[in-house]
Amino acid sequence: MNIVVCVKQVPETAEAELKIASGGKGIVEEGLPLQINEPDNYALEEALLITEEHDGDVTVVTLGHDSSEEVLRMSMAKGAAEAVRVADPAFDGGDGLATAGALAAAVKDLDYDLVLTGCMASDDGNTQVGVALAELLGIPHATYVTQVDVGDGKVTVGRELEGGLIEKLEIGLPCVLGIQTGINEPRYASIMGIAKASKREIELKAAGDLGLDAGSVGEAGSGTVLDGLEFPPAGEGAEILDGTPPEASGKLADILKEKGFV
Amino acid sequence: MNEILVLAEHRDGELRDITFEMLGKAASLAETGGTTVTALLLGAGVGEMADGLACYADEVLTVDHGNLANFNSAVYQPVVAEAVKSRGPAAVLVGSTAFGVDLAPSLAVELSAPLASDVIDIAVDGDAFSVTRQIYEGKIDAKVSFRDAPTVLITVRASAFPVELGTKGGSVSEFAATVPDEPAMRRFVEYVEAAVGDVDIAASEVIVAVGRGIKEEENMALVQELAELLGGVVGCSRPIVDAGWLPKDRQVGSSGKTVKPKLYVAVGISGQFQHISGMKAADTIVAINKDPKAPIFSAADYGIVGDLFKVVPALKEKIAEVRG
Amino acid sequence: MRVSMAEKYELMGCIQCGRCTAGCPVSLRTHLNVRRVVYDGMRGVGPKDAKALPSAWNCTTCSNCTERCPKGVKPMELVIGLRSAAIEKGRIEPTIRDALESTLKHGNPWGRGREKRTEWAEELGVPVAAEGEAIPLLFYVGCTPAYDPEAQSVATALVALFKAAGVEYSTLGTSESCCGNDIRRMGEEGLFEMLVDGNKEEFGGHEIGTIVTGSPHCMNTFKNEYGEMPSEVLHYSQLLASLIEEGKLTFKGKVEKKVTFHDACFLGKHNGIYDEPRTVLEAIPGVEFEEMDRSRERALCCEGGGGRMWVEAVEERGERLAETRVKDAVALGADYLVTACPFCLLTLQDAVKTSGNEGKIEIIDLAALAAMAL
Repeated sequence: MNIVVCVKQVPETAEAELKIASGGKGIVEEGLPLQINEPDNYALEEALLITEEHDGDVTVVTLGHDSSEEVLRMSMAKGAAEAVRVADPAFDGGDGLATAGALAAAVKDLDYDLVLTGCMASDDGNTQVGVALAELLGIPHATYVTQVDVGDGKVTVGRELEGGLIEKLEIGLPCVLGIQTGINEPRYASIMGIAKASKREIELKAAGDLGLDAGSVGEAGSGTVLDGLEFPPAGEGAEILDGTPPEASGKLADILKEKGFV
Repeated sequence: MNEILVLAEHRDGELRDITFEMLGKAASLAETGGTTVTALLLGAGVGEMADGLACYADEVLTVDHGNLANFNSAVYQPVVAEAVKSRGPAAVLVGSTAFGVDLAPSLAVELSAPLASDVIDIAVDGDAFSVTRQIYEGKIDAKVSFRDAPTVLITVRASAFPVELGTKGGSVSEFAATVPDEPAMRRFVEYVEAAVGDVDIAASEVIVAVGRGIKEEENMALVQELAELLGGVVGCSRPIVDAGWLPKDRQVGSSGKTVKPKLYVAVGISGQFQHISGMKAADTIVAINKDPKAPIFSAADYGIVGDLFKVVPALKEKIAEVRG
Repeated sequence: MRVSMAEKYELMGCIQCGRCTAGCPVSLRTHLNVRRVVYDGMRGVGPKDAKALPSAWNCTTCSNCTERCPKGVKPMELVIGLRSAAIEKGRIEPTIRDALESTLKHGNPWGRGREKRTEWAEELGVPVAAEGEAIPLLFYVGCTPAYDPEAQSVATALVALFKAAGVEYSTLGTSESCCGNDIRRMGEEGLFEMLVDGNKEEFGGHEIGTIVTGSPHCMNTFKNEYGEMPSEVLHYSQLLASLIEEGKLTFKGKVEKKVTFHDACFLGKHNGIYDEPRTVLEAIPGVEFEEMDRSRERALCCEGGGGRMWVEAVEERGERLAETRVKDAVALGADYLVTACPFCLLTLQDAVKTSGNEGKIEIIDLAALAAMAL
């Protein structure tokens, strides 16, 4: 049971106050720690758990700049057998479908029974790559997956719908699954483990290696165009009750009493 | 400009709100663009639902077939693709829902159409559509437009647009499509309801919800006590369920429950849209968060910017005082 | 050539006398049996067999076992070694994983962004050293006093005390990173080495005379585990004690309370610092100080060390040691239980609540107490 996991390195933005870069088409990334996209981390863990039970190898694939090799090394430290980085300036600025196109070109030649990837990327918020990748590879897919059971030549998956309802499907292998967070508990990759993994080879694939011409990938190959970034409008928002915790809470308690909640 | 095609979404024989939200927005876009709105409804036994759509669209097209009884993207996709190729709409709107995300990207690839996902606003200028979508977990808005394409595909975030009363008088007709059999390689098995626990938060008038800010399972007691003091129940955002500190049926949000209590107190919740969508209809919303820029404050009526470990105990005291 | 656990941790001197387990504070309430762990290590029972593994996370690294061993064996190091083995496999509690990943990403185990490290100091006029600037006295705040709202009382108190004593000092601001003391004790050797290298480089960029720490944990690792350090390393209690003895720090106010003192393991047992905190306590006007029975070398560990701030005890039973400590202090009739370690501060504060003693006693940091009397 060989599994390909598509992973992405993203900046850690939950704790940060973001700044829009001059030019208005990106954020200032300096000072932001980089990490594996959280849903991809769950996908990686799921792949490792499956191959531990069913024997097989995990290959991680990413489309990224030099720093994204950290994520590949971390994945290998956790147990991925091989790593591929799709790297070429031509891929810069690609939207979700363009990225899926580049990944498909790399993945199609790999030996896999299953492809896993996070259902969404925390930076661009796209929920596109996994499902588009499946279509390009000509195999079935399911996304928002929170349960995976491997059978003979097929997987039974649970997709999480609104309201906590689970949709159960039986999908033939090979297929692509978009993994949702919470499906498992990802393991830790130690610093020493990552250091050992830095001695292992990462295969690099440029656009030419994948038979892609520059015009069909990256920004040039994208159907959508980023016009600009802005901070969301402040809006009406909440009436902020200020003061020390006792002062602010006192105001709130009064409001709650007034409204009959107390 | 050619028509705007909206893919209706339904579950258990009922149209979901997202359908009306999209149709409402499509109607205003169509007015600006000088074109019409067509609703596309796939399913089995959809007559009643189709009639329900008639006042929201200029045309309602149905594909009524047993194979479409349960949503299976492998069966729906070729049918939708056929409709799009036949009608050539300028834009196709699909909900950015569990249903929509399983369909839109592969449909976009099949149609070679550009795709913008999870948009919160759409505009049209001449023949060109542009959208607004959120990135970096809601901290920044991105303005996106499309390269020249005959049809653009847009998935729309739930609750981004309001549900308004429909005033059109659309005709309902069948769209003759080839509906494939469910393929062996992708079979619908069944729906499984979320496990029902002892507490139904949707039935409670007061909910105190806890998020990542609570930091440790040990600290949950703080929120439990506040809930008890207010005569309510404890809800939570997704990370609390992922960590296993509360069962799934306590989760408020798009993949959990949508609640409409009289009072909703969000403690240590940043307010990502998936959570907000589940509670924004509450009568009174209070947010307590350390970060003044937390998105929760734009959804709340009252907010306290501060450390919850200081504010919640103080609040408990003040409530007890005010109670007398 | 694979080194056996016995060789790596020099276990062969062990005579199985059991003094280690007899002195282990958590042996009373968990399955951790440190004598057995050494025994298994001697027999070559490797980490994947060692049944001790889950309970190895209960160790608070108080070092009682190591202090008491008559043969110079270091059972505590073996326990940390078992943790390392689990870490290398990646199979650890999610809370430990999160603390380690946070330390790598943000330079602190609390999951807070690096830029927020100096939020406690806003509007206090705390000096931050410029790049390359020499620092005669570095106040190394520490992750817990910097980020934890309760423990921030340590940092703000020290700022007030330094000001009152006319002490010139500087801090590293947001360039300060985790000292790694508890990272090492959680068993993440690689991350610890990385922190040591990073911190030594940061320190090296400023000519630093003396480092004074807000936490005994930081002092412990800088002093004992960082190898050659060009600077003297002190815990704040040592600095305050000298300032008091030199007459530079005087108190105009009073604190009329009965207090007792809890000796933190990393201040006392690990580093023999017992007198200086008492010098400070006794210099505070109005304070009535009474020792607890289990004080100094015999102090009862609060269970806050050894990574325990980030992981629940495994299969624990009975009263938590911190609760016992609180009850001892209450029995003494103390208004305040004073400690000089931020982990003890937080752990004892929780224990006041869980033992039902809210309103009967308060846990106060030594520096905060002194600042009350300024």
